[in-house]
Amino acid sequence: MRRREFLLGAVAAGPAIAMLGGGSPTSRWDRAAYRKPLASRVVVSRAESYESPLIERIVEGIRLCGVNVAGRSVLLKPNLVEFDPQGVINTNPAVVAAAIEAFKRLDARKVTVAEGPGHRRDNEHLLRASGLQSILDQQRTRYVDLNSDDVSARALPSRFTSLGRLYLPNTVLEADLVVSMPKLKTHHWAGVTLSMKNMFGVIPGSIYGWPKNVLHWAGIDESIVDINSVLAMPRFAIVDGIVGMEGNGPIQGTPRHAGVLIFGEDPVAVDATAARLMRIDPAKVKHLRIAGEFLGNIDREKIVQVGEPIESLAQDFQVISQFRHLKGAW
Amino acid sequence: MMLPAALQFLQKTQNADGGWGAVPTRQSNTEATALALLALTSCPEAKATHLERGLQWLIDCQNPDGSWPMHRSPSHGSWATALATLALASFDGQRARAIKGARWLLAHRGRSLGWWASLAYQVVPQKMAVRVDPDLLGWSWTSDGFSWVEPTAYALIALKRLNADIGGAADRHIGEAERLLYDRMCSGGGWNHGNSNAYGVTIPPYPETTALALIALQDREAEAPNRASLRRLVAMLAEVESGLSLSWATLCFSLRGQDVDVWRQRLARCYTRSGFLGETRVIALALLALSERVTPFRLALR
Repeated sequence: MRRREFLLGAVAAGPAIAMLGGGSPTSRWDRAAYRKPLASRVVVSRAESYESPLIERIVEGIRLCGVNVAGRSVLLKPNLVEFDPQGVINTNPAVVAAAIEAFKRLDARKVTVAEGPGHRRDNEHLLRASGLQSILDQQRTRYVDLNSDDVSARALPSRFTSLGRLYLPNTVLEADLVVSMPKLKTHHWAGVTLSMKNMFGVIPGSIYGWPKNVLHWAGIDESIVDINSVLAMPRFAIVDGIVGMEGNGPIQGTPRHAGVLIFGEDPVAVDATAARLMRIDPAKVKHLRIAGEFLGNIDREKIVQVGEPIESLAQDFQVISQFRHLKGAW
Repeated sequence: MMLPAALQFLQKTQNADGGWGAVPTRQSNTEATALALLALTSCPEAKATHLERGLQWLIDCQNPDGSWPMHRSPSHGSWATALATLALASFDGQRARAIKGARWLLAHRGRSLGWWASLAYQVVPQKMAVRVDPDLLGWSWTSDGFSWVEPTAYALIALKRLNADIGGAADRHIGEAERLLYDRMCSGGGWNHGNSNAYGVTIPPYPETTALALIALQDREAEAPNRASLRRLVAMLAEVESGLSLSWATLCFSLRGQDVDVWRQRLARCYTRSGFLGETRVIALALLALSERVTPFRLALR
């Protein structure tokens, strides 16, 4: 909780905050942090339900992105915040199960599932109630609680927050490929929560608390950018948009069937595409706009779209009133 | 059956440096070590050498200002100070170190949202994105952070246990932290991490934080919100089968003098099924819940 959220919600953040601190835009990140590719490939795949042949879809998505995972240790980072039997808060376990199997089929050396839930400390309950534990048991896959993992300090190569450095879980730092697996959701502080915001979950709660409030004080959008700039590349994203969430997300929103999976190596381009699928203009989402300057692509002409055209799957996801400005041309 | 197995787990998984990690093979941390020590002190069968080595780890990790870090690095004072203080207070001859920890807690409460938030809350509370009284301070997860339920509950228990040793210096902060907990209570009773409402939508409580807050407020048993929260806790437990929730709930009921045999049986079944994922803090709490001695968390009625 921070003053701005208390008073008005994230709308008060406004575009002006992004430029606080003065100086040229490049002064906000080290040259070495620049990783924006000339073009980014994003795969949009239709998947009507969780009973779809998900493993094949995911194998195809990985292949179409040209990612070679053979011999690499893969860390899958789903979105597991808390459990609501009526809700669609978390990445569906069926997608996690299919991803585990898909990476194994592609000869990954090791597949691990890891998350640092943002609200609850009861891992046993969360895993069991969400259905993830039975998936892990069936697939004989290790789960790591990132909230309590051993940590190492890393200096931040970008300075949109004043954090300077972050303690990150060793399990994340040691993985060859970190795969962000968010749910397609709107968010009442950040506008959207996708593969970049999902990385809040790698921040260890044992140091930063539950919820990870230090990041809220530092600025949610700014923290999203700084976290994503410090995490090593290559990375990969698989967005569970089969059933997403609109309105007052990320916890209390309304389920919305979108029937889509989104894949890509550039998390910024993946999130920009996912935003467009929710009929949200990515250039108006603060953290996407900032990340689009140096971490990845948000411009349509820089995103090589493979699979289903956005127009055929896009839906008008509702947002809370404070984020109506995100709607419009997308 | 569970008690010997849990005791054996703790004794077997103690790190070479004397502390305990979040799960076996992880680096020692203050939360796991403090809870493991509290659990071992409740078991007459525990070997003295494990207690001595664990105690030494805690002593070695205390910062000169009285605080404890969560891990050896970063070394700054953390929310786990309350648990370490509580653990040291249960050892003869460690009172002075525990008092130093208590004094650090008194000097390091959560941060205020400032006069602007305070004014807005007074004038247009219904317009707030979240409905919490910004003037009330408890304790935070991080230094200079916002106050949340779990760290506030730990600090409250530690300070209430040690308040007499510091000449009642914690009276005012204890009162304010109690008001904060009641302010953060969910509609109908119970607590979650510390926010009961966002944009007008109620957020439900969790059993583990509800039981913990009730333990911190056990000396206010007559308060109506406590009774409502106790009922809510029982209702929530019908749908939750986890070591953490059942352990805190069993401790909570036990401290109120209730018969906890049924809860202990559920706890043991749960351990058989999951082993509590090998989480040190949960196994330690379960040992405490199974013990007939729950003195580390017992507070005198006021």
